[in-house]
Amino acid sequence: MFHLRPGIKFHDGTPLTAAAVRASMLRVLSPATRGGRPWPLYPIAGAEAYAAGHAGDVSGITVLGDSALGFTLTEPLAIFPKFLAMPVASVVPAAPPADLAERPVGTGPWRLVAWQHDDYLLFARNPDYWGGAPAGDTVLVRIVPEPLTRAAEFEAGRLSVIEVPFGETARWRRERPGQLLEKPALRVVYVALNNRRGPLRDPRVRQAINHAVNVPEILATVYGGRGVLAHGAIPPGLAGSDTTRRGYGYDPAAARALITAAGYAGGIDVRLWRTGTNVELSRVAQAIQAQLAGVGVRVELVERDASSQREAARKGEADMVILDWWADYPDADNFLYPLFYSGSFGPGGNYAFYADPGTDSLILRARRTTDDAARTALYRRIDERVYRAAPWLYLWFPTDLWARRPELTGWDLPVIFNGQRWTRAQVKRP
Amino acid sequence: MIGLVGRRLLMTLPTLFGVLLVAFLLLNVAPGDPVAAMVGERADAATIARLRADLHLDDPLPAQFGRYVWSVMHGDLGRSYITQRPIAQDLAARFPKTVQLALAAMVLAALCGITLGVLSAIRPGGAVDRIAMLVSYLGVSFPVYWVGLLLILLFAVALRWLPPSGSGGFAYLVLPALTLGMRSIAFLARMTRAAMLDVLSSDFVRTARAKGLSEAAVILRHAFRNALIPVITVLGLDTGSYLTGSILTETIFGWPGLGRYVLSAIEKRDLPAIQGSILFMSLVFLLVNLVTDVVYAKADPRIAYD
Repeated sequence: MFHLRPGIKFHDGTPLTAAAVRASMLRVLSPATRGGRPWPLYPIAGAEAYAAGHAGDVSGITVLGDSALGFTLTEPLAIFPKFLAMPVASVVPAAPPADLAERPVGTGPWRLVAWQHDDYLLFARNPDYWGGAPAGDTVLVRIVPEPLTRAAEFEAGRLSVIEVPFGETARWRRERPGQLLEKPALRVVYVALNNRRGPLRDPRVRQAINHAVNVPEILATVYGGRGVLAHGAIPPGLAGSDTTRRGYGYDPAAARALITAAGYAGGIDVRLWRTGTNVELSRVAQAIQAQLAGVGVRVELVERDASSQREAARKGEADMVILDWWADYPDADNFLYPLFYSGSFGPGGNYAFYADPGTDSLILRARRTTDDAARTALYRRIDERVYRAAPWLYLWFPTDLWARRPELTGWDLPVIFNGQRWTRAQVKRP
Repeated sequence: MIGLVGRRLLMTLPTLFGVLLVAFLLLNVAPGDPVAAMVGERADAATIARLRADLHLDDPLPAQFGRYVWSVMHGDLGRSYITQRPIAQDLAARFPKTVQLALAAMVLAALCGITLGVLSAIRPGGAVDRIAMLVSYLGVSFPVYWVGLLLILLFAVALRWLPPSGSGGFAYLVLPALTLGMRSIAFLARMTRAAMLDVLSSDFVRTARAKGLSEAAVILRHAFRNALIPVITVLGLDTGSYLTGSILTETIFGWPGLGRYVLSAIEKRDLPAIQGSILFMSLVFLLVNLVTDVVYAKADPRIAYD
């Protein structure tokens, strides 16, 4: 049951009502919309049937007057409110304009003024924003695909904020430390080991791989030190993460012993997929190849574009894939349910094809647990259990490293990609 | 001439059909699922199946191809899988940007390249020739990507004379046009020089000199005109390739043209966007070739197409 804040208006002046919320969700779920990402709304009773075209309405959404609305879920789901904060659940007017995709209308602090595709988006402040009008007048979001050009734009003083390009990490850390902001990101970089393929089926082989790679060294040298070691899958910013967990540690002798014990004294051959689109991870893959060679794991690198790599990984045709997982919502569930639940095989996110009935039931139990402390304890337990089974080669949790010009005030790194409101940001012209 | 143009225009139709067929086959042979890009990193099988059915991706290939050709014949290039925007509208928004950049690059290339080439040919082995040939040698050898970034560092970051990237007024055009045109400048300079040297040693030039024409008149009116054919060839080819978008230059300078549109369509396996772009680019290329042929005949009356 949700009560809407009173007096909120869309950018087009129409009032935000419970009916508009319901219409927005129906619009996203409707097969006619051809939306590809409706799953966050599936916990609502009747949503999946509606999306499949089997029902004319979603029974689980009840409009209670203008300002309240209730959701009936198919089962208890503690993280559902976080699902509703995802872009797919954004509320738009009940009768949106036909070109909504081109001219979005919402209730947020900024309204879209102009959109030049592949070039820029211009936003102007919404003075009626319920959280207080933004301090700045406009936000210009520029699209600059090449990282080094972005760096040049920043150095020429024409961009206020950018993510520090990898190539500039060391120099900018040295030359402009006062302008840098660093924060752990809700991301994990890992190599999915296909738990159903060849020698990788044996947990000892997978553990050996975790021993055989000198992760701290690769993180420091190849990845510019922009991350913290991952001894688990839950990033340090989230409840359920355990930063004290003992990692596998770099130990080639232990790795060789495990591989021999698994019956592969002659070594094993695997293929590691990487994509040229992600230059940094591509280099990391090369470093992993070199280090695994030292313990008799002969790695052949397979380089494909991102789309082909994903297809192979989803079909389970790749032995090992180097990947970077970003949170959709700030909760440990986002790192366990998609990545390790057996129902999430392939397209759902479980590219390691890790399946363990014990883990499955714990993950489902955590989802249904509404007590936060109990849920956190469960997440910690699940993460530990999975870590010991080594479905991945665990690498690191990246940190966000951004630079902002000294003229810009009131800007901070958001917790999650869509958490930045820019309401306090302001550029002071000298 | 009109008959020629008409016949050539008719001949573009089978060519375009061939292009469509090859593009369609290649896209369907290449790995990568378009629906995977639509649903993102986390998806359920039911949504994927529904979208595939919706987009007719599970139909037999001949049926898919037939449906596509049919709609193209009706002037409909379809809608992007990712943005649901009409492809024709997307192309129409980006093509003027590409034209702007291509023309700027070609004008720059023609002015600089031909001038350098003519100047070099006047005194082969002289100081001007050596410098011009060094410039063109470097121009052909340096990778576009590297030159683009160096230009940005010098003119935008160090000197702050020009904006590093984006699109807008004339100032935004200078660096990308220079980057894009550089290879043409170099190539044209060499081509013009070789053709000029060839012509300058021929009998009619000696006659022109003998009858007392000024050196300028000999070079510009007599020799240069006869050296034009290979120059036009290079200009035509380069114009064709620039008008179809340049992925590298557009990416480095954040230029919102065709090249980047195609690149991102390929990355997302946005089949209608890729096919529509290829079709459009082929058409542009064919038309530029046609114009080049017409210009040949104008430049050299000995060339006739009958």
